[in-house]
Amino acid sequence: MTPSRPSPARGGRAGVTRAAFTAPEDRRSVLDRAHRGDIVGALGRIPSQETGPRRSLRGHAAALLAVLGPGVVVLVADNDAGGISTYAQAGQDYGLRFVWLLLILAGALLVNQEMVGRLGAVTGAGHARLIYERFGRRWGAFALSDLLVVNFLIIVTEFTGVSFALGYFGVSRYLSVPLAALALIVLPAGGNFRRWERAVYVLVAASLAAVPLAVLAHHPGPPPGLPAARHALPEGTVLIVVALIGTTVAPWQLFFQQSSVVDKRITARWLGYERADTVIGTLLFAVGAVAVLTACALAFSATPLHGTFTDAGAVAAGLARHLGPWAGTLFAVTLLSGSILGAISVTLSASYAIGDVNGTRHSLHRPWRDARVFHGSYAALVALAAAVVLIPGVPLGLVTTGVQVLAGVLLPGALVFLLLLCNDRAVLGPWVNPRWLNVIASSVTALFLVLSALLVTGTLFPHMTISWPMTALPALAAAVLGAVLGARLVPHGPASPPRSSRAGPPAWTMPPIETLPPPAASRSRMAGLIALRAYLLLAAVVVIIKVIELIAG
Amino acid sequence: MTRPLGREGAGQLDAALAGRLADTMFALSTPSRVLILGCLLAGPRSVSDLTETLGMEQSAVSHQLRVLREHHLVRAERAGRRRLYALYDEHVSVLLEAGLSHVDPGRPGPARYPEPGEEAGGAS
Repeated sequence: MTPSRPSPARGGRAGVTRAAFTAPEDRRSVLDRAHRGDIVGALGRIPSQETGPRRSLRGHAAALLAVLGPGVVVLVADNDAGGISTYAQAGQDYGLRFVWLLLILAGALLVNQEMVGRLGAVTGAGHARLIYERFGRRWGAFALSDLLVVNFLIIVTEFTGVSFALGYFGVSRYLSVPLAALALIVLPAGGNFRRWERAVYVLVAASLAAVPLAVLAHHPGPPPGLPAARHALPEGTVLIVVALIGTTVAPWQLFFQQSSVVDKRITARWLGYERADTVIGTLLFAVGAVAVLTACALAFSATPLHGTFTDAGAVAAGLARHLGPWAGTLFAVTLLSGSILGAISVTLSASYAIGDVNGTRHSLHRPWRDARVFHGSYAALVALAAAVVLIPGVPLGLVTTGVQVLAGVLLPGALVFLLLLCNDRAVLGPWVNPRWLNVIASSVTALFLVLSALLVTGTLFPHMTISWPMTALPALAAAVLGAVLGARLVPHGPASPPRSSRAGPPAWTMPPIETLPPPAASRSRMAGLIALRAYLLLAAVVVIIKVIELIAG
Repeated sequence: MTRPLGREGAGQLDAALAGRLADTMFALSTPSRVLILGCLLAGPRSVSDLTETLGMEQSAVSHQLRVLREHHLVRAERAGRRRLYALYDEHVSVLLEAGLSHVDPGRPGPARYPEPGEEAGGAS
């Protein structure tokens, strides 16, 4: 078959070795062989041997279409059952007052997701694996177990979303939830990445049904909420703001996008396109979220329903009553596709993390028989969550509370780890964060640390009034302090070669993970881990106080 | 997509089989795992034996053993209260010996591929 068979002589063998491994992407350390090879996206394919630059506009477009996926999926999946309900609540109860917040959140999401996308492309390892390797087993086990618990609770809320959405069409939840669970389990079981991604794109497109809804929603009076936005924010709105942030920025997004980039076989060579993917995803997130909020604000202003949000099912019914059945249908479609998309991504983030940590095979390129732990854990999570929704009398309100508390406990940790990983030269080599990004990212991290603490406290003690000055001052102080610390944050670790020029040497990728030198004990690393311990201790104290209060009360 | 081509004929493997072999070889693609297998060539060992012999951390050894077990290169067996790890079967030791003598011609092992001068049958 081959024109010349490689000579087994030593010289010849060395030559063959060089020829076969010129692309560093092939030498890149991955934890599963299926993470190496051609990029097989829903909209295109890139052969693994291609490393040279693309010169024509058409070439760039084709590469972008092939790479597109991880960022778009994770960010659109952010508008899931919990997200849509919270946007609807903000719109229905407070008008257009909080649109600005969604835009700021989009910016924060972009910063975080770009960092995990970069980690995935450059290291070839999942987020959980990197935490285990660079911060030790205890932190790794903490991050993984917390992720699993939060994810499970979030999947329960996704199934609640499915039951509301299909309930609008008169389908009983005893039919809709098992059907959705079955579809979720069957979708990845065949081990065909391209088919999986195509199905997910259909959901992404369907979740944008909120856009025509927002455009067509008319309102009788003046634009709701806009005049008031110029004045001081009313008391009692802190919690909705914190809830908006809590449902929008969640730890699973970090784990999912990094693993998804690795599984899609995107290497440092294609990082530019992956960043574009994240930007496009952020835009889609913002469009979808603002559309839901605007539609509910416009539809319910000057109606008796203003300020009376109960749940997403009631929103669909209310929209149908005030605007017409088409509006209820569009909202239900948005909710349904958002919930399923959310369930897919949240479950996968857990299954990826399990495989990542245990060294078992974990890839959407593998059929069920080839990766039993991966598909098995995925199916178990989905089936359990669906079962919980169907048990009569399960307090689903408690699930939402649990999600917010645990997410609030986990998120700052995830962000601190992310920031430290992105300043670790042994991991990212020349791709570590530039200083300006450190300033922004640590400011965002510090801000979320304060807001997460508020989320935990506010959720556990609903009668405590949290006023705006009480929120804004520490938040602002944290953001400024974070920015100052970020400016002083210096990447640590061994010096590394340049990341490669356009036509020059191939892109730098992380060497095999077990050959990395142990992490250097830098001042920023110590500060980050101490802050994290202090935060966790505080959160634990608050939770314990609440438990004691519950037992005593 | 993965139509079996038959193992005889043009000497082609079917894609699924090739994938499984590639998975096995992938498990051999990390020096620390090869070192563990090298230790096991001499006989079954416990995790602490391996940790001591190789000077690796226990968590690292356990992790790599999990990967090796998943690829059916290593199996665990009970010996009293101890848990010993051994090469999965005869194939694995043959594979290792062959691989080692392939990269280190001075090493005794299974019959080597003939050098180009020795026989004209090198190219097919």
